[in-house]
Amino acid sequence: MKRRSWYIAAAVSASAMLSAGPAAWAQSFYATAAKPYKGTTIRVLDEITPLQETLKTMVPEFEKETGITVKYELLNHFEVINKGQADMLSGRGYYDAVMLHGLQLGPMLSAGVVRPIDDLVKNGKLFNPKLDTADFIQKPYKSLSFYKGKQYGFINWNYNQVYWARADLLNDADERAAFKTKYGYDLAPAKTFKQMLDIAAFFTRKKGEKLAGKTLDSDFYGVVLEGIKGGSTFGTLWRNFIQNYGGDIIDAKGQPTFDTPQTVAALTMWRELWKYAPPGIAEYSLVDVPTVMGKGIAAQTLAWSDFVLGIDKPGASPFAGKFVYGPIPMVEGQKGERHAEAEPSLEIISKASKHPEATFIFLQWLVDKKTQAELIATGKGGVPIRTSSWDLPVIKDSPNKSLFEAMKSTLAVATAKPKLPKYYELYDALSGIAQEVGLGKLSPADGAKKGQAEMLKLCKTCLL
Amino acid sequence: MTTAADAIAVPSSAAPTPTRERFWYPYLLIAPSMIVLTVVSLIPFLYTVFLSLHAAKFGRVTDFIGLDNYIQLLTDPRFWNSIGIAVIFVGIAVPIEFMLGLIGALVLNQNVRGRSILVPLLFMPTMMAPIVVGLLWKIMLAGSWGFFSYNVLERFHLIGNTSVFASPDLALFALIFVDIWQWTPFMMLAFFAGLQALPLGPYRAAAIDGANGVQIFFNITLPMLTPLLAVIGLLRFIDAFKVFDTVFILTNGGPGIATETPSILANKMTFEFWNIGEASAMAVLIWIAFFVFCNVFYQVAKKRLNAF
Repeated sequence: MKRRSWYIAAAVSASAMLSAGPAAWAQSFYATAAKPYKGTTIRVLDEITPLQETLKTMVPEFEKETGITVKYELLNHFEVINKGQADMLSGRGYYDAVMLHGLQLGPMLSAGVVRPIDDLVKNGKLFNPKLDTADFIQKPYKSLSFYKGKQYGFINWNYNQVYWARADLLNDADERAAFKTKYGYDLAPAKTFKQMLDIAAFFTRKKGEKLAGKTLDSDFYGVVLEGIKGGSTFGTLWRNFIQNYGGDIIDAKGQPTFDTPQTVAALTMWRELWKYAPPGIAEYSLVDVPTVMGKGIAAQTLAWSDFVLGIDKPGASPFAGKFVYGPIPMVEGQKGERHAEAEPSLEIISKASKHPEATFIFLQWLVDKKTQAELIATGKGGVPIRTSSWDLPVIKDSPNKSLFEAMKSTLAVATAKPKLPKYYELYDALSGIAQEVGLGKLSPADGAKKGQAEMLKLCKTCLL
Repeated sequence: MTTAADAIAVPSSAAPTPTRERFWYPYLLIAPSMIVLTVVSLIPFLYTVFLSLHAAKFGRVTDFIGLDNYIQLLTDPRFWNSIGIAVIFVGIAVPIEFMLGLIGALVLNQNVRGRSILVPLLFMPTMMAPIVVGLLWKIMLAGSWGFFSYNVLERFHLIGNTSVFASPDLALFALIFVDIWQWTPFMMLAFFAGLQALPLGPYRAAAIDGANGVQIFFNITLPMLTPLLAVIGLLRFIDAFKVFDTVFILTNGGPGIATETPSILANKMTFEFWNIGEASAMAVLIWIAFFVFCNVFYQVAKKRLNAF
């Protein structure tokens, strides 16, 4: 009898373990791995977006499981860059882990302030064998986290841009008929830049004119793009326009290639689109673009999908539910590889961190399949870093299906920015040119020439 | 024989003589402020000079490179562009503020009705934090929906389909306008205070002699006010040249580099490009320029204008 009870108890616990699945194993891994570091406090700096705010509510689960206290600090985009970098560069090590956008890796690696994690990955006591890194969306992960044979982290955020338009306007019967008469093809979300330009020109209307049957009480614009100097203006131009037109800012050796005919063609399209944008476009940041869309002032844009999540939801915008999304447009008849702007980002361990092991355990927990599934479920959506996340019910059955399909399309081709030690200087110079060309102060050809000269002044070989 | 008086007499070498006391006393009095100045001003400045002579990138100070940072800077068109922007900014804003301030002060000095209410109201723009001024004008001049842009510039077709701060041709002038709006009241009140402090004797004598208003202004008011005008003008000149906060909020140097003042460029060099060596060289160069300018100004004002 005694023996039988023992068998039953063993069978029940085994079946409980099995039914809990890999998550239970993973959880027990973090608890076991963290034992020597129980009571340790680590400081982690991350960027504030709805995704990270959701994540913050989950951090206590990790603390409870491992006994490691995590001071998880969220700052806005510009502050997280400045404060995180300043802390790492000073060598103070206040933060154990700092969120770096892909673009920051070049300068930070060249400054030697990022701790490679290869030794931690090889440490059987610290590395979760079930982390399943093959499940990370590979292109962004590989291009972001590895450089010259060393690994610097996993992938935490897959910021990406998508095409975003007003479905209510594109589906309006009268507008569709008028568009077809004028351009000879059906009005639909733009698949090419030429179509994007046609839509921009078609929908740009003055106050008092009709739009989808209603009289406009203010001017309406066919397109809005980020145009501020800095921000991600140049990223939008570079990777959506210049690369799809077949150009790039550097070649494989890292030498500047800004003055090619492809760049001139891309700059020409950029300039043309600005003609149909609101007058303040040169002041619009990545935050202003979704705001303009949310207020219903423009017909279409290219925007960061995580910002879309904050606008296209009930209560956030009167136009919520009236939007449609698509992949980043291409060039008509484009033969080369497709490109799209994305900013895969990661939490790195600062070289000055006093608790790299405890931090490493936390970084794995952040990207764990279970954590990611919970993050996406709690946040009612999100930007996946794992391929398996596309199959999560909250994404698969989302009412915003076209948004996730657009994200998937971008992330299928997205890569991290090349590791450029002088990224900020280059970016500053080239985003100035993006503005000057957009505003019509420089012709596309002169912009390309000036950009090349500015680049050459900064670096002959720009790669790390 | 030793007397009691001799026994208690303090040896002359141990007691501070009145002369020695007098010698140390002033130094003792200024010592606290000198120590504070050394710590917060002199040491950082010397460190800036040190950094400007070294390769200092990403917060790492490495090799001594002599004047390389200075040469790099002086051959950079962007540096000269920023100096040009500052010269235009100062050259337009300060004289206008000066003239409007002086005219306003003279008007206020005429026992205007409601002066006690007017003076604090006039001072409001100057009392505002620069960030508030920046945000206020960002809202007033925002493209298409800004209060001023929409109701004045667009309604009366003064500016075609563009935003003031997004236009390379207009942004700098908009910044100058904001500076004038903020600092003219300060000039006005400073000059007004000066006018109020002038002695009445010369005015009475002029009145007896039958001098008219213009003669009184040019022969009595202006000469007596010159030291104050020189000091306020110099301070405003230096302050306007260093303008940072409102520019940072309103344009951050853009569009392109159309409003990039030396302070904005130095900030970018330091906190965006982490090129601390070159940014330090820029700080030192601007300091030297101001040092020379202020000295020349001081000598001229002292000799020609009887100021200082």
